[in-house]
Amino acid sequence: MTHLVVKDLTAGYGDARVLHGVGLTVGEGEICAILGPNGAGKTTLLRALSGMIRARGTVTLGGADLTGHPPDTLARQGVAHVPEGRGTFMPLTVEENLRLGAYVRRRGPELEADLDRIHGYFPVLKTRLKQAAGSLSGGEQQMLAIGRALMSRPRLLLLDEPSLGLAPLVTRELFRIVQAINAEERTTVVVVEQNAHLALGIAQQAHVLETGRIVLSGTAEEIRADEQVAQSYLGYRV
Amino acid sequence: MAGFLQQLVQGLGAGAVYASLALALVLIYQFTGIVNFAQGELAMFSTYIAWQLTAAGLPFWPALVLTLAVSFAGGMLIERVIIRPVEGAPELTLVIVTVGLFIFVNAAAGWIWTFLIKDFPNPFPAGALEAGGISIGLSTLGVLAVVGVVMGLLYLLFRHTKIGLGMRAVAANPESARLVGIRVGWTLALGWGLASTVGAVSGVLVAPLLFLEPNMMGGVLIYAFAAATLGGFDSPVGAVVGGLIVGVAETLAGAYVGFIGSDLKVGVPLVIILGVLLLRPQGLFGRAVVERA
Repeated sequence: MTHLVVKDLTAGYGDARVLHGVGLTVGEGEICAILGPNGAGKTTLLRALSGMIRARGTVTLGGADLTGHPPDTLARQGVAHVPEGRGTFMPLTVEENLRLGAYVRRRGPELEADLDRIHGYFPVLKTRLKQAAGSLSGGEQQMLAIGRALMSRPRLLLLDEPSLGLAPLVTRELFRIVQAINAEERTTVVVVEQNAHLALGIAQQAHVLETGRIVLSGTAEEIRADEQVAQSYLGYRV
Repeated sequence: MAGFLQQLVQGLGAGAVYASLALALVLIYQFTGIVNFAQGELAMFSTYIAWQLTAAGLPFWPALVLTLAVSFAGGMLIERVIIRPVEGAPELTLVIVTVGLFIFVNAAAGWIWTFLIKDFPNPFPAGALEAGGISIGLSTLGVLAVVGVVMGLLYLLFRHTKIGLGMRAVAANPESARLVGIRVGWTLALGWGLASTVGAVSGVLVAPLLFLEPNMMGGVLIYAFAAATLGGFDSPVGAVVGGLIVGVAETLAGAYVGFIGSDLKVGVPLVIILGVLLLRPQGLFGRAVVERA
């Protein structure tokens, strides 16, 4: 069943248009990877989906129209965006960062249970609850950012370059957790990633974005098997 | 020794007033990055409202509560109408806007209430507490108590409520705050409302010591700037401590440094501002940014 439907999405900054009519669909509970070179518009696509920048076209999530709403409204609609650079609230504590993720929800036992759940995914966060979030390492901040996003019980999770600046081992661990989260919570995930290997490893389907247009779509296996992709993004020939 | 303690207590009383105006400055700076030069004038205008209400026959404390409520709404309105359109503009633009607001509010008060000085009722009894050879005016104690209560309430708001957490999130990272669903625009307006309320407290406390007139907050604003600079413009606690230190420094300098006396006292905050900017620009409590890449 399709969950996220994007049609003819155009977006940019000022006069500079970055996306030229992007269309894609993601099934409920699926992971969709967006690959592509620097400057292709991957981050812009996520920013348009979460309302951080204005976009034209249509975006629907589970049938509800999301187009043109500001990010605070979309957050209430179940869109959680882990932005490039992680968006940590540096001077606030780890726990406050997590609780802010649940800002749109009511307080209650369910929310406390979710905190525990996130400590289960990221045990390291539990040991640092009272610490200023700015003092965490890059990998821990990325975990915190994903934990924060999960606290909103999102229907759509947008991950922008989760591997950026992280050691390979940490990145692999992070992707394993994203996969576990997706499997357990049936959260639909759109992940933008430079590391095509890892992204294709957890995604069901993938799209390749080049200069603001989708040039190739398919299942993760198909994309992996594509010679062009292999050369450009995976670093080997099939 | 008793004389010294006497001066110290007096300094703390004055400092409490500077602290509350400094706190108002810091609140707005934290949320919007704006140094609000009109903060003192807004406080003065609020004080006139309180005066008008008491002149109309309302007892002091109900008049104060009503004044604070009006100040809160007024602060939010100013943010929505005057500050919102220039949000994100260069610093110089923002400074000019708040200086313009300063002139406008000052002139409006003069137009409505004239520039003739008015007596403002002192809400505290006239007596004094005698202890160990020093006497502490009840009004000084009252000022300290009121400022203490205001600080306590703000602390509770920021540390123990969801709205307060949201406000701190907006101050820390507005873009992320928007992404977790916080209505950032309204939070900024709330910050202005709070700041105007806290500023109004300082105006109402200082008015009985000075006279009520449209220019009464000019001097206090300079002390508040010194206090905020000393404590760190991003630290509410720093603003309070800074205010108290500035009040004490000013009083002691006036009493013990011969050539300063009461005429040159206003030079003290300027010396403090200059000294802090040279030696520790982030202020005593300013955030030493803890960030790892």
